Amino acid sequence: MLTPAVSLIAVFIFVPIVLTIWLSFHEWSTQTGFGAARFVGLRNYQDLFGSISVGRDFKQAFLNTAVYTGLSVVIILPLSVMLGLLVHQTRVAGGHVLRAVLFSTYMVPMIAVALVWSKLYSPTEGPINQILSWVGIGPQLWLSSPDTALFSIVILNVWQQVGYFTVLVIAGLTQIPTPLYEAARIDGANRIQEFFGVTLPLLRRTLLFSAVIAVINAVQVFEPVALITQGGPANATNVLTYHIRRVGIERAQGGLGSAMAVMLMLSLIVVIVLIFAMARQKEER
Amino acid sequence: MSGGILFRGPRPSKADALILLLIIAIAVAAAFPLVWMVVSSLKTPAESMQTPPVWVPATPNLSAFGEVAGVIDARRSFWNSFVIATATTAGILITSLMAGYAFAKYRFRGRETLFAVMIATMFLPPIVTLIPLYRLVTYMGFNASLIGVIVPNLANAFGIFLMRQFIAVVPDELIDAARVDGASELRIVFSIVAPSVVPAIAALALFAFVYHWNAYLWPLTVLQGNTAEYPIVLSLGRLLSYNRGAMNTGLVMAGATLAVLPPLVLFVFLQRFFVDSIVSAGVKG
Repeated sequence: MLTPAVSLIAVFIFVPIVLTIWLSFHEWSTQTGFGAARFVGLRNYQDLFGSISVGRDFKQAFLNTAVYTGLSVVIILPLSVMLGLLVHQTRVAGGHVLRAVLFSTYMVPMIAVALVWSKLYSPTEGPINQILSWVGIGPQLWLSSPDTALFSIVILNVWQQVGYFTVLVIAGLTQIPTPLYEAARIDGANRIQEFFGVTLPLLRRTLLFSAVIAVINAVQVFEPVALITQGGPANATNVLTYHIRRVGIERAQGGLGSAMAVMLMLSLIVVIVLIFAMARQKEER
Repeated sequence: MSGGILFRGPRPSKADALILLLIIAIAVAAAFPLVWMVVSSLKTPAESMQTPPVWVPATPNLSAFGEVAGVIDARRSFWNSFVIATATTAGILITSLMAGYAFAKYRFRGRETLFAVMIATMFLPPIVTLIPLYRLVTYMGFNASLIGVIVPNLANAFGIFLMRQFIAVVPDELIDAARVDGASELRIVFSIVAPSVVPAIAALALFAFVYHWNAYLWPLTVLQGNTAEYPIVLSLGRLLSYNRGAMNTGLVMAGATLAVLPPLVLFVFLQRFFVDSIVSAGVKG
């Protein structure tokens, strides 16, 4: 009964994980068989942390990915709570419509999101700069400037994903028993105290789950970079998924690419463990 | 004044009006990029290059959609997307039902460990295994073909997880009765268990279909530029490269509109299943 699923996952996920780790200690062209790999010890890792261009590019891509991921999570989590409250409230109509609109963007292929936003961001014929000019803000370069390109991609990522996280928050909100709010009100709590005293603590598990998923999703950003910016301008949007594929597949430096993939995997494990540790610490307090 | 269509509370306050305004503003902002996409696809080439941008095309026309067919084989691309999404979804349903059943109803040593190991793969970004997986699939002779796109994705952790959650609450008596009647285990899964978890199957099918319709990184890598086998999202990428320099925004937007339609239509009709499955997977997990 387990054979089909377990063997497929073993062959197409676990074997490749082991191979990635093994290859990271080898010099290997992706165009050749695994047998052609030549053992080089830790040299790939030394290159990644060294000062030659391989190391500089990797460190830049790693930093870009970290910034991109951090910003995405920091924006998505509070926003999804606010949107979740707006959908969940029952005093005013429109919650369901809002939920449908927000979640529909999650269905749109990332490639289409990237194409559409590249036109929205266009400094001259794009509508965003025009809208900004109505409120007196001057034209921005968005994807064309190294200072704003990465953040511009964060915004389109938030736009695409926030509906999913909003639905998670709504699910969390429906689990909070109403008597807790009644008790808080009897104690004389106002809306704000209610939010910080009841809602937020009881959403902790949801937000923990959201944070982990948001991190995993963010490091996968690929289409906007591959199609619109090609990692530029000036390496500002060169993120790991794009960089690893460029090195490991397009340039066929399989060993080096694998070492980068291992670093990504290790960093993710550290980040996820940290998120859980932080959540546990809060719970104990 | 009490109640109404827009205000459900007994006496709408200023705060309620503010909430309603906020909901409308956010819904409009969230829908804007997709509306802009469709509107832009109806512009003439001259209009799409105008500064400041044209908000409403003077003579909306579908000629850009005709042009798309001149650059990419849209019908073939749609067919490829359909084959990839349908075959992958069918595989995921079968493997997930079987494994979910085993994890929910069988007792064997190491069950929880094996389950945890499977679930851990849910948190692995595909880039980590991309390089050796590409080579493995080449070894198997599946590269540059739809089979290569489909086969590695026929089982996944999310499906197993979702099915186990739902099959766990199917009564044991139902399964025991079938066993007494001499039904084989496979028969039990597909004709006793499956019919009692139809909502979960529907949700998983929708998620898998949309996810694999939208997938970009793996098809791009494994198809190696074999454009005849390109699904629509990859052809959309080609449309952009073709268009680079020519600045024919309408063409790209028409292509994007075509690619977005199937997942969005599915979502509009089956929204409930999507949302329910996120809620149940998130809450029970």
